[in-house]
Amino acid sequence: MSFDLNLIVESLPLMLAGIGITFKLLLVSGFLGLILAIVLLLMRISGKFYLNWLAQVYIYVFRGTPILVQIFIIYYGLPQFEGVRESIFWSLLREPTGCAILALTLNTGAYVSEILRGGVLSVDKGLLEAGSALGMSARHKFIYITTPLATRISLPAYSNDVISLLKSTALASTITIADMTGIARTIVADTYAPYEIFISLAIIYMIFTLGIQKLFGLIERYLSRYTRRED
Amino acid sequence: MEVLNGWWDDYFWGALIVAKVFTASLSLMVLFGLIGAGAKLSENRVAQKIGGAYTVIFRGTPEILVILLLYYGSAIVLTSIVQVFNPDVRFVDVPPFWAGTIAIALIVGSYATETFRGAFLGVNPGSVEAARALGMSPLQTFIYIRIPEMWRIALPPFGNHMLSLIKDTALISIIGLNETLFVAKQAITVTGKPFTMYIVVGLIYLGFSTIITLAIMGVEKYGNRTTVGAR
Repeated sequence: MSFDLNLIVESLPLMLAGIGITFKLLLVSGFLGLILAIVLLLMRISGKFYLNWLAQVYIYVFRGTPILVQIFIIYYGLPQFEGVRESIFWSLLREPTGCAILALTLNTGAYVSEILRGGVLSVDKGLLEAGSALGMSARHKFIYITTPLATRISLPAYSNDVISLLKSTALASTITIADMTGIARTIVADTYAPYEIFISLAIIYMIFTLGIQKLFGLIERYLSRYTRRED
Repeated sequence: MEVLNGWWDDYFWGALIVAKVFTASLSLMVLFGLIGAGAKLSENRVAQKIGGAYTVIFRGTPEILVILLLYYGSAIVLTSIVQVFNPDVRFVDVPPFWAGTIAIALIVGSYATETFRGAFLGVNPGSVEAARALGMSPLQTFIYIRIPEMWRIALPPFGNHMLSLIKDTALISIIGLNETLFVAKQAITVTGKPFTMYIVVGLIYLGFSTIITLAIMGVEKYGNRTTVGAR
């Protein structure tokens, strides 16, 4: 057993070739997941019990099961049905990438909607009363008072969720996708050098995690620029 | 549903393995979390750095990478050690059960470190001073004042860590532990019904999550029985 530095130098470019797929999974499912989360949030605060109930069941199911199982159900499970294979979605669901994006979107949407709900609920009631006193409609209050404040409150928790989404993209390697982890697993299967490959890949992921944290730190500072005290 | 006949017992044993992994990794997770929190809160600079590195590394790396690294990495070390004594041996591995259990305990333990640290810092300094005024030793203060106060603070996030832990057990199937996902894979090769088989896995995990959520709710209620009305 030895630590082979040359192997790291050789395989780093190979692994970094998977960066595009990792980022595609992260950005596409992050964006779609955010939209899904907002829809779920609006369902939960809509005041209609059936919409609220539906969103709650969705969140309960997707937060209560492992993402790996969700990926497998979508990728291996859905083609069991004739109807799925004949539907217009088949071109998307036939591809592992499409399945991974779908699974990650559905999963992260459930988590993020709870984060956003926490933000919405923690908006000061007094501000909403002030809005009512100014004659704002419920929609206006939501857009001009709740949304900006809730965004700022839920941002730190949201950044954590983006990081766990980044880590979940590594699971795409289980359904044959050649993201960074997938490529690393192939290299390890060939060279049998798990330490060199997996540790250098772990460092790459850690750098991205730190980058995401820094980025959200900057956004948070920007969004809370009015709340800073001048001293 | 008839395709499931004959597989129920396999799923049951798989679920039992999930429960075993969960129990073992839960105790290890608490241990790692307490050690990590202790290191981060200690006066010792080196311990602080190690605690900090622990949380950064294990919170920034995808779970699947940690599991793969621990399993294949430990196998390489073990094999080379055994080969010293017996050169004919080709491959020795740590049982996937323990490699996986330790891996997910390390990962979730890094989150628990932050929770425990926050909870210890959240202990009311007045209570600690009162204990000192009553002549309690530091150890007595720790056992009778700090611990009972901190676990109430730590409980809600700790419940979330338990849920992450149960969901992370699904990842151990990747290194060949015969838990529910593994059972499903076998069942699929025989029956050709991937959706049905993976849905059963999802339902088993949903059941586990529900039990944990209810248990945490119960313990929280018990923990706050003396403070009801005081808040």
